[in-house]
Amino acid sequence: MAPQIIYIPTLNDGEDDFRQLFEIWSQTNDYFEDVLFDLSRCKFLRPNAVAFLGGLARLIESRVGTVVFDWTTLRNDWVKNTLSQNGFAGSFGSFSSGWSGHSIPYREDRFRDANSIVDYLENYWLGRGWVHVSPRLRDAIIGHVWEIYNNAFEHSGSEIGVFSCGQHFYTQNELILSVVDFGQGIPAKVRTFLSSDPRADQLTAAGCLRWAFQRGSTTKADEPGGLGLDLLKEFVRINQGKLEVYSNEGYAMINKDGEQYENTDISFEGTVVHITLRCDEKLYRFRDET
Amino acid sequence: MKTTIKEMIGPRCIIKEDGQKIYDAIHEVLQKGECVTLDFKDVSQFASPFFNFAIGQLLKDIKEADLRRLLHIENLNETGKMVVERVIENAAKYHGNKDYRKIVDDILAEQAKAAS
Repeated sequence: MAPQIIYIPTLNDGEDDFRQLFEIWSQTNDYFEDVLFDLSRCKFLRPNAVAFLGGLARLIESRVGTVVFDWTTLRNDWVKNTLSQNGFAGSFGSFSSGWSGHSIPYREDRFRDANSIVDYLENYWLGRGWVHVSPRLRDAIIGHVWEIYNNAFEHSGSEIGVFSCGQHFYTQNELILSVVDFGQGIPAKVRTFLSSDPRADQLTAAGCLRWAFQRGSTTKADEPGGLGLDLLKEFVRINQGKLEVYSNEGYAMINKDGEQYENTDISFEGTVVHITLRCDEKLYRFRDET
Repeated sequence: MKTTIKEMIGPRCIIKEDGQKIYDAIHEVLQKGECVTLDFKDVSQFASPFFNFAIGQLLKDIKEADLRRLLHIENLNETGKMVVERVIENAAKYHGNKDYRKIVDDILAEQAKAAS
């Protein structure tokens, strides 16, 4: 049977872009799907889209389907260079330049290998010289960002692992990292955790996310926890960055102005954590640093 | 008893399994009422899963005041201190019985507030 052809559009990291990603997920969310991704309409691809599409490809493969990225359809030079530099194209059967530019490598982590992930954050994400921070502040940032990966491995139940990609945007002076899993999603996990109460089904995704982001909230019945998201939230606020989470039919956004939790009209099984940091060294100081 | 974390764990204290190793090494000693010193010299990266298991778990059967008297922490950087304090503060909440009904009440109340 001929594969289903899916056109990858230009994808940024706004709400509509995530909606398009989740629509692509819904078109391929079945067993025995054979999919061909056509890139002829794609003129820009942010790291959230790269991580999502990479994970989606592995999800399709794990469901006994096949995935082909048709590289012959890719005409846009910016996308071509970016996917080559960040290793995505190389992971899916095409060219890989080995020159990383302002790209931060696409990576797939089937299992939680803390040292490998932290090395990546240290050497490729923060350690490229575009964020001028002291070594101990670099370590603090890495510790907080590691919490994203740890949460994904601890809570999602994703059988295919965790997918991530980053980028440094020179003109906006922003450093971005997206971490994606195709596990059950935070709202679903919260509802299951609270399922002894029949009203758990009435909990909205926004309500579940709001609870999950509170200090000390944990869905582990037998382990201490519930600090990772809280620590991350605090860190992002101090640094005037932005933390966005899409999970099931919920959306959370944290920035210096506050927190926002919403229900969305499109859903996917999994979680995307998208963090944007500003590369302004004045924001990244310890109390005793001059 | 003094434990040098760098030797036992390495320069990164970020995962729960390493936290469990520390817990296993110090729990009984502290239960006997003996002092323990954890030396974090040359440890630079910290995350909550490590401290939840290394220290948060201790509060299951050791009172916070006793823990603060018996457990001495040396050479911990500012980030590590912040995470440890947060873990200790959070542990009391965790070790109390989970009131699922109250959690659902709270989420529903917040939902209603957001909708109004």
